[in-house]
This record gives sequence, C-alpha cells and structure tokens, in this order.
Amino acid sequence: MKVSFNELQGLCRKAFTGIGFEDGDAADAADMVAWMQCHGFNAVDQLNRGLDFLLEEDPESLPKVIYQDGDLAVLDGHGQSVLRSISLATELGFAKARARGLSVVKIRRCHNRQLIMGYLSRLAGRGINITAFWRNAQVPLTEQVVGFRAGHPTPEVRIYSVRDVPQENEPNDGITLVMANHVELLPSLGADHDLDLLARHSESDLMAHRERSLHEGIEVDDAIWARLKSLAHRILVESSDGSRSGAGAGVNDND
Amino acid sequence: MMHSEWGLGPLNLRPADDVMQLERLGSLHACRLSFVRSLMRQMGRQRWQVSRERFDLDENGYGTAIYRLQTPYGRYHGVMFAQALDDSRRSDRVIAEAWDVTFGLVEGDVDESLLEQMAANVPLQEAGRQHPRVLVLSRANKSLRNFAHFVEALAQGEQPDPQWLTRVGYLYRTTAVYGNGKFGIADFARLHENPDFRRPFSPQMASVYLLRHFSIEQVEHLARCQAPDTACALAIELRRYLGIGNSTGLGMAPFLINHPQLIAQWVNQRETALALTQRQAPSEEDRQRMIALTQRAHQHLSETVTEDVEQTQRNAETVASLPDVLVWLENAPLADDLWAQLTAWSERTLSLEAQELINTLLIELYPELVDPLEEQMGVTENLDLQPDMPLIHLRQLIETHYSWALAHDYQSREGSYWFWYRSVEKEEPRLGVRHEEAGAEKEMLIAMGPRVAHSHAAICEFLEDNPQAKVVDFLLTKPRHKEIIRRVQTLVKDTYGDIHANLWHQDMKPMHLLRTKLAFFGASRFDPKSDRWVRITLFQGAPLVEELNAEPQDLGHFDNWGFPLQPQFENGTVAPAGLSPQAEPMAALEGHPSVHGERS
Repeated sequence: MKVSFNELQGLCRKAFTGIGFEDGDAADAADMVAWMQCHGFNAVDQLNRGLDFLLEEDPESLPKVIYQDGDLAVLDGHGQSVLRSISLATELGFAKARARGLSVVKIRRCHNRQLIMGYLSRLAGRGINITAFWRNAQVPLTEQVVGFRAGHPTPEVRIYSVRDVPQENEPNDGITLVMANHVELLPSLGADHDLDLLARHSESDLMAHRERSLHEGIEVDDAIWARLKSLAHRILVESSDGSRSGAGAGVNDND
Repeated sequence: MMHSEWGLGPLNLRPADDVMQLERLGSLHACRLSFVRSLMRQMGRQRWQVSRERFDLDENGYGTAIYRLQTPYGRYHGVMFAQALDDSRRSDRVIAEAWDVTFGLVEGDVDESLLEQMAANVPLQEAGRQHPRVLVLSRANKSLRNFAHFVEALAQGEQPDPQWLTRVGYLYRTTAVYGNGKFGIADFARLHENPDFRRPFSPQMASVYLLRHFSIEQVEHLARCQAPDTACALAIELRRYLGIGNSTGLGMAPFLINHPQLIAQWVNQRETALALTQRQAPSEEDRQRMIALTQRAHQHLSETVTEDVEQTQRNAETVASLPDVLVWLENAPLADDLWAQLTAWSERTLSLEAQELINTLLIELYPELVDPLEEQMGVTENLDLQPDMPLIHLRQLIETHYSWALAHDYQSREGSYWFWYRSVEKEEPRLGVRHEEAGAEKEMLIAMGPRVAHSHAAICEFLEDNPQAKVVDFLLTKPRHKEIIRRVQTLVKDTYGDIHANLWHQDMKPMHLLRTKLAFFGASRFDPKSDRWVRITLFQGAPLVEELNAEPQDLGHFDNWGFPLQPQFENGTVAPAGLSPQAEPMAALEGHPSVHGERS
C-alpha cells in the first residue's frame, strides 16, 4: 500500500509509544524510520525485523557512558536498537564538537544501526559536519560510511566490501561518529584501498528519492502496516457510554 | 520581516504572559491575517478562476460535481460526491461513518481513472485509501432546516428570509477538513515550493470555499428540479451572506499543543500587526474608518445568535461596551498615539473579548503594513535540543519563561482533575476525570505545565550534585525529560508557543483552545454546543465565485468582508445591510442580473 510521509511518521510515533518508548524517544524513532523510508532505505522492513527485539528490550537499560573526556566518548548501547535513546549519544558528540571543534563518539553494542542516519540528519541540519562509520559482520565483511555536510540534512552514503578481513575478535556491533564544526567529513575512496564499492547513494540521488516519495507516496507492506497499527492501538482507551460523552458532543446532528 | 524596515526601532510586542493566557486566546476574533481572509486576498490579487467542469446531480441533488480552480501557477479540482444519508447516521462527530457530501481538492487534472478511485474512497473518508494527488479530504453535513427551507423558497420563486442565515449561516457544515498526508493524501511538505498553497491551511480553506459554491449551486439545482417553471436563483446578497459551517470538538486541542512553533508564528504575526498599527499616527480618515468598522462589528455581534448561555453573555458584554468605544473614538483628541491610548483604555475598561475585538479592528486599518505578515504564517518545525547548554542556564530559563507552569499545584484533585486521551473509536480525543474514569495511564501528554514542573524539579535535584553539568549530561541519566527540555529550549526563543494554563485543571475551559485555532482560521459566529464542542461559520460575507471570476479591480473593496451583516429583506426583496460595504456602489457588480426573483 501507498502511505504518506506524515502518515508513516505519525503511525510509527504511536506504535513506539504503544511499545513503551518515552514521548521524546517515540518522536525521534518515528522521525528516523520515516526519514529513512522516504529516502529509499527500507527502514520499515528493518523495523519490522527488529520489532520483536524492541518489544523485549528493557526500557530501563539506558546507553551508558563508559569513558569520556573533552573530545572523546565511548558508550555501551547494551545491545539495544538505536531507536531507543541512542539520539542522546549523538547529542553528546554534538556537544563535544561544539565545545572543542571535533569529537569522536563510539557506541558499542547496538542494533538497527543504519536507522541512526535519520537522527544524524537533524544534527547536520543544525550545522555540524558528521561521519558515521560501522561494519557489518556478515560475509563478505562490509562497511558503511555516511557523511553529512554541515547544514545539509541529506548525506552521501557508501557501502564497501572489505577484501582482506582482519584477524581479530572485535565484534562489529558498534558505530563510530566523528563530528566537526569546520571540517567536511565526506566518504571518499582512493584507488589503492583494499575495498570494493558495493553501493553509492549521492546526496542528489537521495534528495530525488525524497521528492518522489512525497509526490507518489511511500510503498509499505500491508502486513507490516497492520502490525504497526496494532501496536499503535495500545495507546487508545476503550470506549464506553461515559467516555463517549467525554468528547462533549451529541451523537446526532439533524438540525 | 525586519521591524527595523520602518526605522522606528524594535516593536513593543505584548508579553507572552498576557497574550498566551488561555482565556485571552479564547477571546480572539478572526482578523485580516486569518486564513480565509488572506486566501481571498490572494485569490483576488492573482486572478484565480473557478469554473464548473461537471455537475451530474440527480433530481434529489445526489451525484458528482467537479470545479476547476485555475491559478497563475497551477490547476486544481474540487471533486464533490453528494449522497443520500439516513437521518440516523447524520453525526458531526469524527466517529460518524457517512455524510451528506464528501469531497477532495486534487492537484492537477481529474481523469476518469482518478475519479473512479476517488468515488470509491473519498466517501469512505478515514476508512478509504486516498490518492497522493489529493491535497485535502473533507466531508460535510447539511443544516437540514436551512436546506429544506432554501429549496422550498427558491422553488416557489421566492428568496428565503436572511434571518435563516443569521441563525445558522450555512447550508453545510464540515466535520473534518484533513490535510497533510492523512489517509494517503499529499504531505504538506510537498507544497512548500507551491506558491498557491504554501501558507498553512490554505488548501483546506480553498476546499471549503469551493464547497460553499457547490452548496449554492446544489440548492438552486434542487429548486429547479422541483419547480422548473417557478424556481429562481438565490439573491446575490444571500449568496454572499451564506458561509460554510464547521463543527469542531476536542481534536483541535492536541494540534495547538503539538505545533507550538507554528502557533507562536501565528500569534507573533498578529501581535506584530497590532504593534505596527499602534505606532501609526492616525489621520481623521483613519479614525472614521475605525468608527465604521466598530459600528459594523457592533451590528454583527448584535445579530449573532447562540444558545450557549456563557457565549451569549460574552457577546452581550461586548455589544454593550461598543457604544462606549464609539464615544471614546469620536471624542478623543487626534493624538499621534491615539491607537496606543485606545488599547490601554480598553485593557482597563473592557472585557477580554471586547479588548481583542478592538485589536482585531485596529489591525484592519493599515493593510500595507499588515498584509505582508501573511507570508510569515508558516514555519519549519524543529524542536531541537541544545545539548551543550549549561544545565543551570536551562533551570534559569524555565524559571524565567515558565513561571506560569511552576506556579500550579498538580497534586491537588482540582489541579489534576482532567486527563486527555484518544478513544479506540476513530481515535476521537476525549477528556476523562482522573481517579474516576479508566484510561489515565494512556493519557495524551498535552498538558505542558505539569511536565515542565516535573522536569524542573528533576533538574534542580541533579544540579545539587552536578552544578557544572550540561544538558546532555543530565539527559543521559534522565532521558525521559528530553522532549520537554528541547521544547523549552526552543520556545524560550518563540515565547508565544506554549499556552499558559494548566490543562489538567478542573476549571480549564477546552472551548478556549478550540476558539484559538478557529479564530486564526477566520471563524465567525462562535456557537458552543457544550464546553468542548462548537459550531462556527467560515466565509460568511466573502466574495462569491462570480465576483472572483470578474477579476475585481478594487481589491480593497473585495477584501472588505469581515463581520458580515444580515441583508435587508422587505417585500421579498433582498438588499445589502445599511452598514455593509455592499451598500456602497460596487463597480465590479455592474451588469449583474437582478438580485430579486432571478429566473434560472
């Protein structure tokens, strides 16, 4: 089915509230999903795959700062989806970059990492240059680099496959964020790099995709939509004769 | 707009602590910056044209009608579906499932395939899947008494008594006018670059304007079907005096709270208009115009009918005070600061509703200063966090700008009496009594006062151990305060964003919230049906499609339609009210068919 951007954003917000997200987190998560879907990144499918996981998350298990100084922070995401509360880790990077010119934030142990682009777009719109980097552990090992120019809410995205996989045991479940006030941090690939370009999404491609989404609507799977609606239903209050009068109107208007 | 353009220094806008009081907001009137007014000006200035493309109605008035709206930049179509409706199903509430007429405004042309898709979905409204080229989706119910009387009178070749439209100023009232992506229609974001409809709610208002035209054509069609030999057209004064109603409930309240930057923008433009006006040194002509406007508003409010006791009392107070205003205007020396004196005097002596009426009329006086503000009614909404702000500074900001929120007692029974929620029945917003009714745990978080107070308390506690903390340090520990903190950080710069009231309080009047938004739409004839349900009228007195199509030369006259007056009615003849602008000769209407007994 085709849905509008506002419709997708609105339903996701209600669904996240229904799952138990705090108000601000529900709004941010909905923005992230709608932003991604509208730019062609199939966020709704990703969300659907992660929904069971989200439903089981402990809402009290917050991202925790393991280390920080003026320029650098390392956080433990406790294996949770970036949709819940991870925006504050990015805000920490933003605050440090504002104060010091450049910051690095590493968020370890988190899921649905690609969706973080939707929030980084907001930060970039507030005037900060950003690079987000992460690796996926599947075969072949891939890495994704997302670069936002300050003031540009649409990124450049590259996905590479890594030819020579390093012999190490570090898990690939984190994100590295670099933010800078005055330095552009866009992806680039030199000829001698040991990487293969798998996908490239330019800023203009993504903006064109957004335009198309706004004009033609956004395709969403009916079953996923129904599932989101069912989660959103949780925030509604059962009706009764008493509650019907709570709207303050009559029920018949033949006059 | 930079106020320094006038070279007179910064404007002295009223403080948010005054303007954003709920009771004052609930006393606002439609003004020249209201959306129906600015849309009509735009339509007249840009020579928009409305034409009938299809009018396939049967002898009962049921069927399909399509109107083309041509602007210099684009083409749109209003598509109307009129159907039979059993009386038992006629409800203005959002929980209704069928309506007398359903309609949509489409961007571009309507081919048979789109019409088929719309015919299958528009009548279903929320239950349908709408096409992404539909900009507005809406529905309306008949005012049965008016409708039947108008058809009967016209079929007999007679004009209905204008009093019918004074009591109820329309043949149809809308019960929802959806925009911005609802049920699959186009997102508002898509209209950002559209010069026709980039202003807030302008496509919705254009749709309602087309419905008004349809309602006239439909009753005339029915009269012709009933009595082809005797039927006449509706007199032009009655056409103009006929608006479109709207029936509105609590659904407007969440919008006001959830779009604080937009509301701040609207209020800011209105306050800017008032401040610009107040510092004009009036001429004698300006004074006479203000007197004429006050006289017209006096008559309009004298004629306004409502069964609601409180609103009747408020209208009566305003009506009773306007003769004093006229005396003041006629006798005050013509000082440079006359308008500032007038507002100062009105604040000391008049009711809130009368004060805001004076402000509304003042805004009418200097279109060249005020009208450019209508381009500033939109805003890009982003409640952004400032994570690097020292937490102590945030605390100070809350204590400076949100003292109203900290002053309430949210623990007492009366201070936490209501909770707002959405029902499973089509998500209809409702109010429940806390501690008595079920559902408080699913409360809609639209009462900002208690949330700000809660966050303030948590911030104060955190600062005791972390006096140097930044906002982000606090939020990483207490993330649930994120939404309220970024709201506060944003709105201390847009101080007209939050309504200064405890929306939980037992004495809180939801009607004030509804009226706030409706006044910006351009509503008149506020007719509350309960403390949380109101009917209003839009476009009553507005220029007609035929006047628009005639490409008006005098745009000032075209725009002069606020506070419409009941036309005169003698011996079956309809004529403009003595104080109405139409009582003056109007070049644009020369050559128009007779106003009385015009055969169709």
